[in-house]
Amino acid sequence: MKRSVSVISLTVSGVRHEVAVEPRRLLVDCLRDDLGLTGTHIGCEHGVCGTCTVLVDGESVRSCLMLAVQADGATITTVEGLATDGALDPLQQAFREAQGLQCGFCTPGMLLLAWELLRDHPSPSEAEIREAISANLCRCTGYQGIVDAVQLAAERHAVAAGAAR
Amino acid sequence: MATVPRTWIGKDVQRLEDPRLLTGRANYTDDVRLPGMAHAAVLRSPQAHARIVRIDTSRARALPGVFAVITGDDAKELSNPLPAFCAEPVVQYALAVDKVRYAGEAVAAVAAVDRYTAEDTVELIDVEYAPLPVLTDPIEAMKPGAPKVHDNLPSNLVFEKTLSFGDVAGGFASADRVIRRRLRWHRASAQPLETAGAVCRYNPASGRMDVWSNTNMINYVGWLVANTLKVATSKLNINPMDVGGSFGSKHVLGKVIAIAGMLARRSGRAVKFMEDRVDNLTACENLACDRFYDVELAVGADGTFTGLRIKVVDDYGAYFQFGHGTHGNALAQATGPYRIPGFEYTVQCVLTNKCQQGVFRGAGSDANNFAIERLVDAAAQELGLDRVEIRRRNFIAPDAFPFKMPAGNIYDSGDYPKVLDQALTMAGWNELRKMQAEARAQGRFVGIGLATAQQRSVYGPTEFWFWYDAAGLTSVPESVGLSLGPTGEFIVTMFSPFWGNSPETVVAQSVAEEFGVDPATVTVTYEDSLHGLPSAGPGGSRMTVMLTGAVVGASRKLKEKMARIAAHLLEAAPEDIVFGASGASVRGAPDKAVGYPDIGLKAYWFKLDLPAGMESGLEARHTYDHPYLTMPSADRKDLGAFYPMMGHGAHIPVVEVNPETGQVRILRYVAVHDVGTIVNPKSLRGQIAGGITQGIGMALYEQCLYDADGQPLTASFMDYLLPTAQEVPRIEIGHVETPSPFTEYGVKGGGEGGRMIAPAALASAVEDALAPLGVTIDELPMTPERLATLIEAARAGGRASLAR
Amino acid sequence: MKPPRFEYAAPHKTDEAVALLSQHGDRAKVLAGGQSLVPLLNFRLARPEVLVDVNRVAELAYVRPLESGVAIGALTRQHTVERADVIRARLPIVAAACRLIGHLPIRHRGTIGGSLAHADPASELPAVMVALEAELTVTRRGSRRTLPAEQFFTGMLTTALAPDELLTEVRVPGLPPRTGSAFIEIARRAGDFALVGIAALVTLDDGGRVTRARLALCGAGPMPVRAREAERVLVGERPDGRVLDEAAEKIAAATDPPSDIHASAAFRKKLARHLGRQAIELAVRRAGGGS
Repeated sequence: MKRSVSVISLTVSGVRHEVAVEPRRLLVDCLRDDLGLTGTHIGCEHGVCGTCTVLVDGESVRSCLMLAVQADGATITTVEGLATDGALDPLQQAFREAQGLQCGFCTPGMLLLAWELLRDHPSPSEAEIREAISANLCRCTGYQGIVDAVQLAAERHAVAAGAAR
Repeated sequence: MATVPRTWIGKDVQRLEDPRLLTGRANYTDDVRLPGMAHAAVLRSPQAHARIVRIDTSRARALPGVFAVITGDDAKELSNPLPAFCAEPVVQYALAVDKVRYAGEAVAAVAAVDRYTAEDTVELIDVEYAPLPVLTDPIEAMKPGAPKVHDNLPSNLVFEKTLSFGDVAGGFASADRVIRRRLRWHRASAQPLETAGAVCRYNPASGRMDVWSNTNMINYVGWLVANTLKVATSKLNINPMDVGGSFGSKHVLGKVIAIAGMLARRSGRAVKFMEDRVDNLTACENLACDRFYDVELAVGADGTFTGLRIKVVDDYGAYFQFGHGTHGNALAQATGPYRIPGFEYTVQCVLTNKCQQGVFRGAGSDANNFAIERLVDAAAQELGLDRVEIRRRNFIAPDAFPFKMPAGNIYDSGDYPKVLDQALTMAGWNELRKMQAEARAQGRFVGIGLATAQQRSVYGPTEFWFWYDAAGLTSVPESVGLSLGPTGEFIVTMFSPFWGNSPETVVAQSVAEEFGVDPATVTVTYEDSLHGLPSAGPGGSRMTVMLTGAVVGASRKLKEKMARIAAHLLEAAPEDIVFGASGASVRGAPDKAVGYPDIGLKAYWFKLDLPAGMESGLEARHTYDHPYLTMPSADRKDLGAFYPMMGHGAHIPVVEVNPETGQVRILRYVAVHDVGTIVNPKSLRGQIAGGITQGIGMALYEQCLYDADGQPLTASFMDYLLPTAQEVPRIEIGHVETPSPFTEYGVKGGGEGGRMIAPAALASAVEDALAPLGVTIDELPMTPERLATLIEAARAGGRASLAR
Repeated sequence: MKPPRFEYAAPHKTDEAVALLSQHGDRAKVLAGGQSLVPLLNFRLARPEVLVDVNRVAELAYVRPLESGVAIGALTRQHTVERADVIRARLPIVAAACRLIGHLPIRHRGTIGGSLAHADPASELPAVMVALEAELTVTRRGSRRTLPAEQFFTGMLTTALAPDELLTEVRVPGLPPRTGSAFIEIARRAGDFALVGIAALVTLDDGGRVTRARLALCGAGPMPVRAREAERVLVGERPDGRVLDEAAEKIAAATDPPSDIHASAAFRKKLARHLGRQAIELAVRRAGGGS
């Protein structure tokens, strides 16, 4: 079979990229290896752990279950798009204060899930928070610190309702 | 013992580790990119037990973009067998040599231009196997005449031993009753979200091998890795990485490092091998103990415990990598928090055709806690005593510490009644019992669990060899470097990697405590294996104790020199110098002060301003050895102190069981832990919540299963079930602090306690819920079908409800 | 775990898509949401030579009210279906079932057509569509046909789709007045595939008797199981405890569940009986009945 490659265009955290990819290349590998954005991590590659979560056109998706070519023309947000010049944004700050992380491996995915939740549901109950973050696995925290972080972020309006990214 | 008030130890200091983790700028192994780096993939055996007849790699080698293909023959040439912490000659290479012994064992590996191509290449390798009989049942595998997993061993019963302490026979003879249970603790797997991996680069001209890996013991047993890679120790450098969780699964990682290293040698390129999730589930070093217990507790009519016998068969899988360290773990606290005068421990380690055990948080003492606590609950039930009272009656008294338990290990401090009382109060024990009675009247199955159990910390290496007659290693140190730079900044250098625990924060808080500076001003760096000081790294919940000890030691050295410099500059006596937030000053004369930047500046740049004979520079290194480790006696009747920083916890979960579906809902979870002086309360609570969540996994969801042909049935996250946020309740955590008399600040380790106690507590809760049906819980995990089957059998048997 | 190589095409129109399927036949596989297919590709359990990615066929994504029912384009995302006003108003059981599919990030990509065409025996939508007696439109180059949902599912992970056919629309008839519905399932964890799940629709008359019942299960056999004997037990009766017990027995008897590490066949049967009773009771209550 001939090895075909197509050039796709992605806007990631405000920066437009053009990159040549094989059709089978997964979006997560394109982000990590072709664009050098290693903040998005690989945990299982079969869509269960959610470690690879990014926002595509404003919606959370598992980037290990998308082909990069499917994201041609899309607007993507990865964890690198949250902080500005290294200064933690209010959501990240809330995670820090509430210790919503330990090893940090699930953290980028959790941050984006939390961001999406707060954008769409600015005052979530604990049950709603748990439902949202149950899409992703964490092996370190037992989720308690993450729930606390999202509650803290909600109290502080860390994410503007309906915010665009 | 009251806790000493301190400035920074005991505070919720924000973690130094977080900024890079939160912004996606950490440095995990898969983030390493080197010029020309190739990517590896591994061909794994589909057979659980077979001779390798023939391997044809010709089609694989012909594929464009392939740089190297290796098999077991190459492994014999390029590597030595993997390190194993046992005396028996159980040989394991990173690629199977002549024979495969478990489904998933690596048979060949390739390095190619990218991971996609590497996986394409692996599919082009043809292997012919001659199947052999498969052993998956350790009881069958133990029998004489069973097919052998290792031809060079006399049998699959690779190790067996009975150790006896105190007057066991007398304790049983004098008992009024012997409580007996047979228990099953299934194999679980650590499953951190980051898999194991390594990048290796070999320079044939210099003989130097550089490794980047999420392995742990880089400054402790790096020489073992060098031996595996067949490079001189002085030519091996292992770089510490940020690690995405380990829970014991990344101690050595001989397999991934050897595969990457061999491919680097063969290909002439740097090679990265990251396990994928299937690799990690089926072939890593993260599997936990897999035990069959036959246990007996001798009790008097009044509930006093007079003796304990533990017989355990442990299915180790195909290799004996970590040996019986997990049984040493159990011995450290085999009698729990109770005054049992003697006990006997019989262990049989069996090899079967499954991936080998590694270690997983708790490391064998979790299973032992389960065993003792089932016996204690059973004793209460059979004697008609209250579960709380029988524990109180047998607790080691608060004034009995340091306490020498029958095996010889020391429990350094504790106040078990206080922990229990706090847990009972937090839970509202009496209100819970009322609520339970009301629920029972409605036909609901609500249970209240109780487990009071130990959580040892800071292992001694003697536990790997006191099973044998010959002695072994006795060093298990941790080191730090501490410097004050020419601009007055404190820098701590660590020699063990970050695992998700908070080592940087712990050392920063210790420096802050010693000098009075804000921990946020402390910088922490890591050093590799060629430049490192002896450091055994995270494991056995040792880092809090060992890092604080190392920092205090280094601080003392540094303060001694700084005091002499400051005294010289301030024209005072060194013994009158005190340290504070911004610098050093003369005691009682705070205006006679010199700031840290000035001290640093002088030390590095102004030699002629220093006291005569003083070297330039301001750095101290300290290697802190295990604070209380003693040799076992020659007859092994006294194993010495080997795990003496003994924490303790009481857990009270409240559950409801659906009798039709067997599903368990956790309504509440109360946990009180005593791990000595707390360094960072929020961090500790995070470790406890995380550990309890893994314990919930063990109790209800997690098991590695194999079919009769040795095929792993839990080879993806769809089948190996980790709890999500909806399976875990909010955990109510309380603390008691009985400081250790043997450590700096009185700290102990607390990282594993959650997982060491929760399975026992949840078993107790479910058994309590089903008490009206007379169901006993003997097996973990308690899957819905297991419970539904027990319930149905109990109902069919028409057993009367039991008064509780 | 990376996919094997394949040729790739991303048509923008239905005509183009079916032309590609016609051209490539069984060398091709359709990629919709990818939440089932991409894991199979990553495991290399699926090895299509050609992948026809229909995600850009925008004309297949819609939710349209019909006279009393709803027409849903096959490419409509599960999340969109779940939140559509007309679905919530007319077919709340479809929203309820969608809610149980995995987690939100999965539903952002997964499509209704993809779920039906993949036909995983444990998945929710096939059972719901069988219970709702939905009509599925299948298109090939130059023609299309419609078949009832129950005929669409022919075996485990197998449907009536020929290699050159694309599922393009799902039409769900409206429900009679006084119909209550329920979809419930038992899973090991939140968001997991169901061990067993059941869709129940019960219509009552003014006297509280059942005039119509539809019951279909997932996880209970290689295809969705329509429990017709259980439905017959209910029709004409006021659904008291005895009737519910009998219906639940018939539900269990209708199942031919698999055994796997999460649940044996016998246990699934037991769960089917238990869940079936609960689902019927809930549907009855929502229909305005019950004691």
